[in-house]
Amino acid sequence: MLTIDGVTLNSPLLLGTGKFASSEQLMAAVQASGTELVTLAMKRLDFAGPTDDILTPLQQLGVRLLPNTSGAKNAREAIFAAELAREALGTHWLKLEIHPDPRYLLPDPIETLTAAAELVKLGFVVLPYCPADPVLCKRLEDAGCAAVMPLGAPIGSNQGLQTLPMLEIIIEQADVPVIIDAGLGAPSHACQALELGASAVLVNTAIAGASDPVAMASSFRLACQAGMAARQGGLAVPSIEANASSPLTAFLETL
Amino acid sequence: MPITVNKAPTTLVAPCSLQQLVEALELNPNGLALAVNQKIVAKSQWPETLLTEHDDVSAFQIVTGG
Repeated sequence: MLTIDGVTLNSPLLLGTGKFASSEQLMAAVQASGTELVTLAMKRLDFAGPTDDILTPLQQLGVRLLPNTSGAKNAREAIFAAELAREALGTHWLKLEIHPDPRYLLPDPIETLTAAAELVKLGFVVLPYCPADPVLCKRLEDAGCAAVMPLGAPIGSNQGLQTLPMLEIIIEQADVPVIIDAGLGAPSHACQALELGASAVLVNTAIAGASDPVAMASSFRLACQAGMAARQGGLAVPSIEANASSPLTAFLETL
Repeated sequence: MPITVNKAPTTLVAPCSLQQLVEALELNPNGLALAVNQKIVAKSQWPETLLTEHDDVSAFQIVTGG
């Protein structure tokens, strides 16, 4: 189970709300995924744009809301975005993300650590999206972050756990929940992350970009259940040599 | 009284509070955050925050995102 700020979440699946075709599809995916925590973003109000209220139906579903600081290119902007989000949603939970490069959207480790330390002092429960760097993850933890969110692969790339060896070290060393964020493209990736010992995964594009997002949300829910159950079952140890499953007796040698 | 809201020139009848501006523009306060001259104003302070000439109001809203 995932515990953040004293709150226990039964589902290890966090859902990003971007890129869905409609509000109705998003709500159906939220329900099918079984998630209890969804991410949201901030933007400058566009008076000429659509005014769909996505917040009210999410609030009615009873899921917790985790605003992010997407769009921030440095710590100063991220702190401003965080304070806006706190005012807009009335939550001090925050997914900190600072990725100045639009091509790869890789998180800036220096700005992220700087912002995290400041936001913790300001009373935020900080969940930083970060590179899969074990040293940085410990530094973020030392700064008071409530969890760390290392990437599996670039945002929206669907490549899976490209950073696997580093994720294993991060999980082994962590004293806060490790939430694998970004790049998960298939339910098997989520299952693998949880088998490894991650506390949770955050998925958006793999679900919203599927042919049937609601069916994919359900698939991720099942994969997460499998991953958590597999971990509790205790995975058998891999080896290079074979280890016979059937008895290797000499019963055919008399032929 | 001229002000700007997200850089768009707007004329208000003074006195006007932030709360009155939200109502006049028919903005949904759920998921809304406001800053005046780059300083964030808490929702609880909207009724008492009186706008003055040439104030630069920025309005932000919660949207979908990962």
